[in-house]
Amino acid sequence: MTENQTRRGKFHWLTSFRHGPTLALLAIIALFAILDWQFGSGRFFSPRNARVIVNSAALIAVPALGMTMIIIAGGIDLSAGTALTLSGTALAIAFRDYTIPADQAGAATWIAAALALGLAVGVLCGLLNGLIISLTEMVPFIVTLGTMTIFLGLGQVIADESTVYPESEHLPDWLRYLCYTGSNSDHYWIDFLHIPASALIAIVLGLLVAALMHFTVFGRNVVAIGSNVSTARLCGIRVGLTTAAVYALAGVFVAVGALLYFANVKNGNPSDGTGKELEIIAAVVLGGGSLSGGRGSVLGTIIGALIIKTISSGCTMLSIPNTYTHIIIGVIIIIAVLIDGLRNGAPKWLFDRLR
Amino acid sequence: MKRFILPLVMLLAVTLIVAGCKSSSDNSSASNAGDGDGKQLRIAVIPKGTSHEFWRSVHFGAEKAAQEIGNVEILWRGPVVESDTGSQIEVVKSMITMGVDGIVLAPNQKGGLVDAVEESIGEGIPVVIFDSGLDDGPEIVSYVATDNFKGGQMAGDAMAKAIGEKGNVILLRYLAGSESTEQREEGFLEALKKYPDITVVSSDQYAGDNATSAKEKADQLLQLHGESLAGIFAVCEPNANGTLEAIKNAGMAGKIKFIAFDPSDALIQGMRDGHCHGIVLQDPVQMGYQSVITMVDFINGKSAEDFQSTGEYLATPENMDQPQYQTLLKPETVQ
Amino acid sequence: MKPLLEVSGISKRFGPTIALDKVSLSAQAGRVLALIGENGAGKSTLLKTLSGAHRADAGTMSLGGQPFRPSSPIDARDRGVAIVYQELTLAPDLSVEDNVMLGRAGTGAGTLMRSNQRAAVSEALHRVGLMHLSPKARTGDQSVATQQLIEVARALISDAKIILFDEPTSSLPAADVDRLFEIIDNLRSRGLAIIYISHFLEEVRRVADDYAVLRDGNSVGSGQLASITDDQIISLMVGRDVDDLFPHVPHEIGDVRLEVEDLGAAPMPKDVSLSLRRGEIFGVAGLVGAGRTELLRCLYALEPTYAGHVRLDGRRLPHNVRGRRKAGFGLLSEDRKSEGLAQNLSIVENLAMGNHDRYSRAGWINLNARLRDAREWIKKVEIKAQDPVQPVAELSGGNQQKVAIARLLAQDAEIYLLDEPTKGIDVGTKAEIYRMMGELAAAGKTVVFVSSYLPELLAVCDRVGVMTRGRLAESRDASEWDEEELMVAALAAVEER
Repeated sequence: MTENQTRRGKFHWLTSFRHGPTLALLAIIALFAILDWQFGSGRFFSPRNARVIVNSAALIAVPALGMTMIIIAGGIDLSAGTALTLSGTALAIAFRDYTIPADQAGAATWIAAALALGLAVGVLCGLLNGLIISLTEMVPFIVTLGTMTIFLGLGQVIADESTVYPESEHLPDWLRYLCYTGSNSDHYWIDFLHIPASALIAIVLGLLVAALMHFTVFGRNVVAIGSNVSTARLCGIRVGLTTAAVYALAGVFVAVGALLYFANVKNGNPSDGTGKELEIIAAVVLGGGSLSGGRGSVLGTIIGALIIKTISSGCTMLSIPNTYTHIIIGVIIIIAVLIDGLRNGAPKWLFDRLR
Repeated sequence: MKRFILPLVMLLAVTLIVAGCKSSSDNSSASNAGDGDGKQLRIAVIPKGTSHEFWRSVHFGAEKAAQEIGNVEILWRGPVVESDTGSQIEVVKSMITMGVDGIVLAPNQKGGLVDAVEESIGEGIPVVIFDSGLDDGPEIVSYVATDNFKGGQMAGDAMAKAIGEKGNVILLRYLAGSESTEQREEGFLEALKKYPDITVVSSDQYAGDNATSAKEKADQLLQLHGESLAGIFAVCEPNANGTLEAIKNAGMAGKIKFIAFDPSDALIQGMRDGHCHGIVLQDPVQMGYQSVITMVDFINGKSAEDFQSTGEYLATPENMDQPQYQTLLKPETVQ
Repeated sequence: MKPLLEVSGISKRFGPTIALDKVSLSAQAGRVLALIGENGAGKSTLLKTLSGAHRADAGTMSLGGQPFRPSSPIDARDRGVAIVYQELTLAPDLSVEDNVMLGRAGTGAGTLMRSNQRAAVSEALHRVGLMHLSPKARTGDQSVATQQLIEVARALISDAKIILFDEPTSSLPAADVDRLFEIIDNLRSRGLAIIYISHFLEEVRRVADDYAVLRDGNSVGSGQLASITDDQIISLMVGRDVDDLFPHVPHEIGDVRLEVEDLGAAPMPKDVSLSLRRGEIFGVAGLVGAGRTELLRCLYALEPTYAGHVRLDGRRLPHNVRGRRKAGFGLLSEDRKSEGLAQNLSIVENLAMGNHDRYSRAGWINLNARLRDAREWIKKVEIKAQDPVQPVAELSGGNQQKVAIARLLAQDAEIYLLDEPTKGIDVGTKAEIYRMMGELAAAGKTVVFVSSYLPELLAVCDRVGVMTRGRLAESRDASEWDEEELMVAALAAVEER
């Protein structure tokens, strides 16, 4: 008890606000806007760039919503990246081989079937993870490390080790323009507000997940499991079932993420997903998620994705080489998590050492 | 509940501010494009990646063109994650946002970049494609590249000559969906059809985009076919570097005839040592140079050919010391 | 005689919370001072201030006439103040001698131990009665009691003038407690000052000469133990007169409700048969490891069983936690830190865990109803908390236990399985828990009460059974037992084998 209070007292200025990620995002936007205004093209703080950033952030944020739930439940999903491209590849194959050009009659049925297939693949991937984890009680890190390469391999098998590229006439317009960031008002869902459809999807899904986590028994049970699985079991929460459900539900977001990925690159390449899971996890962690479970914020995750993409966009604008972009993102992740740790009194060692 | 309201409001506010004032600056990028004479032109050159020698030579060529013309700034930006289409799309979009006067692009995927290019053209920014093709659709200014199919054929003929027109050969592919290497691969296979005694024992393995994975693949293939193998063709630089290592490791250097595409220090040395029997060369400096020249000409109102070849050459142990081949084997790079 | 350690007017606040408010006390060389207080009274804060882990906001301390303001635990130890903590702070993988020398200049893991240091280690071990222990032995392999003594040896080797013991007996078996007390007596006779923190009055009487009582961060009394009664100490601790340590609520025992037949699990319990009545409080005594906790967990279906079944009102119950809960079983875990409560979650969340059905419709929670309910429970069981969304980790042990109990009550169970419900909590709260158990029985519920503290079992229960080696050996009406007989029964089967 007293330990906690000490740190609360000493770092009151740091610990008192709960909007760390949001403030960090605003600070990063301000920083890049100023730098760009001084040294760059002055276009960083422009509506077009905002659209580009929110679109690429949405591509991470949507699968990261599922990851947030998994991390809150005390798990991790390393297979999210390859499951996403597996689902995307399945979608691409469905559009290449089993649809008719979008302007022909009856195309809608085929398109719906293709979308259902992509969704099913995502959910099955998640369900597989969930079932293995809850039935065998193996560590999620190991299980998903395994399924990560399984999904990669499966993707390469169905794609015949190449990139699946469906004819563009087969894609309906709404799908083509999911990730549109240009200046033609017709391609946006809301004519007068040029917000990419991908971002709207991410926001709506984010609100849904936030509601699910905060206002439903299921959501609170997930938090309980992540905080202390023994207590959850003691209180009669069905730990195995809930865990499996969380992974399966995360699969839905992986599938939606796959749809956005497909709409963005218009093809399916199973190996594109390797490394994506780390970006997804980074978004969750930047948003305040704790890898030890029980803690995580849905809106924080969305902001985490925005932070990552703002930095990478800002660096591009300022002509900072890629290598340094990687370093900057890494440093920011570590600093963010460290500051977040101060809020929770975790890095006791730091103060003991410094003394 | 309360604690979600503030971040939400902040988020919405930022989105609205940024999205709401869209019309004010959106079209300014387009207006810059036409009046090239008086002010400095900014041209974005976007390679597939930034870490291979080849692209640094392209960069050199682009800078050379910029200097010759004068008043041109080259923005050299590669995708953050190499061989990741999404990442390259982001770079293209960032360049559109920056309102550059032209984009010179080597697409990672022939299909994936179509929409980004269309978006760029829609914003009034012309696009020159180089090195690797783009699917049909967008009205690009020109496609500046090696004739990769022809280069592949040259590799095939060189291979046939090296192995005495008979024996088993392996084609080690690069990555699926990469236009330029696919053409080389097809060209190679096409050329070998002329030689009935040559059998292609493996042509379905992809070596990946780095030397490590290529070496691994080549190791496995040598295990499988090593005894009866006459030659290997590796379709690009990282691929060839890894393959050369694998051949040396297996103790088959010199025994197996090895044809590469694009040079590197290791391959040149390999050629001197008799481990490598031919390198098909492109002219990356010329590619960068010609792309930028084409772009500036277009901005100034001159149209260009749809396809411009920058030439392809075969270096062999015999001709490698000639000055022309020396510059192609060791093209100048930036820094 | 001038006191060795003098603390006057020490204050310490953490944010809005005042942990210590002008606390004064003094410790004499050659005497044992018992520092007594309920959980949350400020004992631990005072201890940490003395050891240099915290700095006081106000007040002065002096040691042997010199001003004493330690900047860190190491500084405090160099000046002669050593602490034996409640939780062991030894490195389990190091050897005993490494642990004893840990943190001392020029030694420790990886550096060579000099022969004179070795002699010092063996002398220190000798003084704490560990003369037979090899200094090379791995620390983690020793029993908890031995490890505690190694901690004392570590304190001795630093030439401590004062040793502070923070509830040292809470993790010790009874036999080892006596050994510890002998060593404390020995240290006292060598002229050291001892500060002994505990809330077990029996222990305090056994080991201490003087007392100082803290309540809510204030010093509320001090003096010689010989001149005060237990009741007086308790009323000092609680701040009011506790007229009855074991309040009795009259209740009537009805028909048989719960029948257990030949329940068996691996490794425990074995062949347990039991029948319990409405309105009955059934006590389970026994040594640690006799299978009492396992019995409760099997009754609650938290652990798998291989034999036997459980009937409630004649109906046979399926073996799963949800089924048992539905039938009206509720379990209070013995380990509230790692099982009973989710420490990082708020009071509301902990109260609602598993009880969400009552505030939700179709899976959606009515947050207002949930919060209102939590406030009611906080008021009803008198949980001391700033607000309902405070994490339970910030509460004192007694208040945490109240949260766990409130959750059990909110479940509105029929059969209450209470595993060591009074462990590590203060006297006042204990009395409240006894009353609550009585009230449950009066309301016709059935209570199973597992405890290692025999007086409370005998005072509260209607019937007491003894477990040995996984078997429920004998049960009689509480009035037919006395402490000695219970002890004999608990030990009996052990000696048989």
